[in-house]
Amino acid sequence: MASLGHSQASPVAAQSGFVSVLRNRGDQFLVLVLLLGIWQALSLWLGTYWIGSPLGVVVRLYDGVVKGAILHHASFTFSEAVLGFVIGAIPAVLLPFLLRRLPIATAILDPFMVGGYGAPKLALAPLFILWFGIGIESKIALVAITVFFIVYFSALAGVRSLDAKLVQMAQVAGANERDVARHIVFPGAVPYVFTGFRIAMPYSIGGAVVAEIISSNRGLGYLVQLSAMNFDTIGVFTALIAVTIIVFICNGAVDIAERRLLRWRPAGDIKNQASN
Amino acid sequence: MTTQDSALELAEPSKVKWRQYAVTAGRIALVVLLLAAWKIGADRAGPIYVADPWQVAQRIYADTLSGVLLHHIYETLRVSAIGFVIGCFFGVALPFVLRRLPRLTAAIEPYIMASVGVPKYALVPLFILWFGIDDAPKLWLVGLLVFYPVFIAVFAGIRNVDRRLVNMARVAGASESQISREVIWNSLVAFFIASLKIALPRAVSATIIGEFLVGNAGLGYMIEYARQNFDSNGVFAGIVVATALVLVINAILVQIDKRVNAWRPTERDMQI
Amino acid sequence: MSAQPLLEVRDLSKRFASREARDSSLWVIQGLNFSVRDGEFLTIVGPSGSGKTTLLNMIAQIDTASGGQVLFKSQSAPINDAKSLNPGLSCQIGYVTQEDNLLPWRTTIQNVLFPLSVQGRLNDETRARAAELIRHVGLAGFENHYPHELSGGMRKRASLIRTLVYDPPVILMDEPFGALDAQTRAVLQEDLLRLWEMGRKTIVFVTHDIGEAIALGDRTLVLSRAPAKVAGEHVINIPRPRDIRGIMTHPEYASLYQRIRAQVQ
Repeated sequence: MASLGHSQASPVAAQSGFVSVLRNRGDQFLVLVLLLGIWQALSLWLGTYWIGSPLGVVVRLYDGVVKGAILHHASFTFSEAVLGFVIGAIPAVLLPFLLRRLPIATAILDPFMVGGYGAPKLALAPLFILWFGIGIESKIALVAITVFFIVYFSALAGVRSLDAKLVQMAQVAGANERDVARHIVFPGAVPYVFTGFRIAMPYSIGGAVVAEIISSNRGLGYLVQLSAMNFDTIGVFTALIAVTIIVFICNGAVDIAERRLLRWRPAGDIKNQASN
Repeated sequence: MTTQDSALELAEPSKVKWRQYAVTAGRIALVVLLLAAWKIGADRAGPIYVADPWQVAQRIYADTLSGVLLHHIYETLRVSAIGFVIGCFFGVALPFVLRRLPRLTAAIEPYIMASVGVPKYALVPLFILWFGIDDAPKLWLVGLLVFYPVFIAVFAGIRNVDRRLVNMARVAGASESQISREVIWNSLVAFFIASLKIALPRAVSATIIGEFLVGNAGLGYMIEYARQNFDSNGVFAGIVVATALVLVINAILVQIDKRVNAWRPTERDMQI
Repeated sequence: MSAQPLLEVRDLSKRFASREARDSSLWVIQGLNFSVRDGEFLTIVGPSGSGKTTLLNMIAQIDTASGGQVLFKSQSAPINDAKSLNPGLSCQIGYVTQEDNLLPWRTTIQNVLFPLSVQGRLNDETRARAAELIRHVGLAGFENHYPHELSGGMRKRASLIRTLVYDPPVILMDEPFGALDAQTRAVLQEDLLRLWEMGRKTIVFVTHDIGEAIALGDRTLVLSRAPAKVAGEHVINIPRPRDIRGIMTHPEYASLYQRIRAQVQ
């Protein structure tokens, strides 16, 4: 998600390219300084009970990383998100492939999948906590089921996007069913699957954090909850920033993986699928 | 000399019917299978972990009669609706305001995009700290979760308005606010409505989850309260009702969307 | 070269069912008969809509026929039943389609080697052949480019040598140079003839361009409008090697062109 939308090129705007970019960067820097300034001022004015100061957050963050407390909790949240993601994504990608030759099966499943996609998976959090306890298993289960439905539809679209002409070309060249699946269906579906990954990523971290807030004794969500209960706003902000950093790292990882694996794609091809 | 024709031949009507029957039969079979699995799970895993489906049904029935269920549903919908309206309002108003301030928009855009990365649910403990334990933290949560998709859709819609139409309106003497109302709003109303299809169910879901964390009413509260008392019947009943509620809202929106957009040749949402 | 034709089309017919009435269907091809000798370069011209692509699809066995036969080496190919279609007739028939159909996720060299890799024939010798063909058509240096980084003409050339490299005895070509500019087309026509003369494959080349049909072929068939039949057959008596760019000055050219033109109506 690079920007909110692309404006149509206007002859006037294209003029002073470099200068306007520079000015833009300057503005953004100014806004940053302003935001930090306001934050600090509010903190001083209202007291750290209500708003922890930015300096305090920086110190706590540094402290937490160096001494390991933040990293300790972050590793739990991160592993819940990643493990849940993997457990949910693998069947979600496999199912459309395996059912490719059985359109009846996909048709039968369709209303169930749509229902599962539309239903609030996070509402299952208490159920999973009841079943698996307050450890990471319940969070992993929650993330997995959330990710599954999202990635399923993207993978399904990818498998369905099959270009019949390419299949015919491959068949004339001597490819059998397995060759077609491996060389045509699978690579063609990869961009769609990655779109699904990109959409599911924030849900995986968000889901882990929510479950931790509801009931946990480890993780960044737990840290947020604990700090809030102790009226420790610095702790709350620190944990929130740590969560956001994890989100950025994961997004970046998916972006890098995508760019590597999809170098063959002409620009602006399926990017717009992301607006699902 | 008689041979089969190519696939472009009309599919025989009986073949299509047969397939439809097969699909419906398959779906019914799957439902039966799932219910059976639930029942078996309940028998095996005991009353604490998996509630018996029949008992859950009875519980829903009893709660409906006693009015408890309706009370909680009402509470959830009440908070969702208010939060939805607040989120929509700002989600629509802000892009229109920003449209007049392009320099400011460019300056704050990266921070808005960065704020999308913050999981909003994680803010709930903070909201509780700041705003107390009544409706307020839930309203903030729902408001934010509705705000973002609506804001992004309307903002992108505004940006993508055909400049030629805007120029034409300017030349014709329209004021900025007239342009906003006539050209821009009409161009983006489709995007806006599409975003509502996402935002409304999300508002209800968010309320339910907010109720896990704070408050003393609503479906989420009902579920969490039951969990803490190891009342699996209550947990299952609450989840069933909550899921049904969101799915019904989804279905209603899909129907409305179909009616409203029936005349549009393109802009069909894929069922994805 | 044996007297038996390598490829034979007997009484071939194809009809598409229309959506309205059940029995009013559109015969695209009806009672088509021709044969191709081993090592012959046959060109086929016809107006657009004369089912040229459909014909090639049936010969290549990607599509079923409503009637008639296709014989390869005197053996009838199963083209009447969708389930028993054997696309490419086990790699005996290569097909250069109108669209390049390059796999977008493979580089040029990977695309060219694709048929060889699915046929399990990748080795040093075939790789060397591929490299040579790439050089021959001027794609040297672009082996590791993705299709979207190549121009239309380059993609066409890649799709052409993709079929040539695995050496099928018969090669079908469907207006392969249609979408290119005149200059690139001339270059590729020369390339094709040069490569054909090295290997003397059997080629069935479909085009709407009469000049191209004359310049390239040993013999030209003219297809009529739908329902298409063979409207005429013209032996091209211009000796090889041919000068593509100067072909129009050959004494035979003008009369051939006029005769063929008259039939393509």
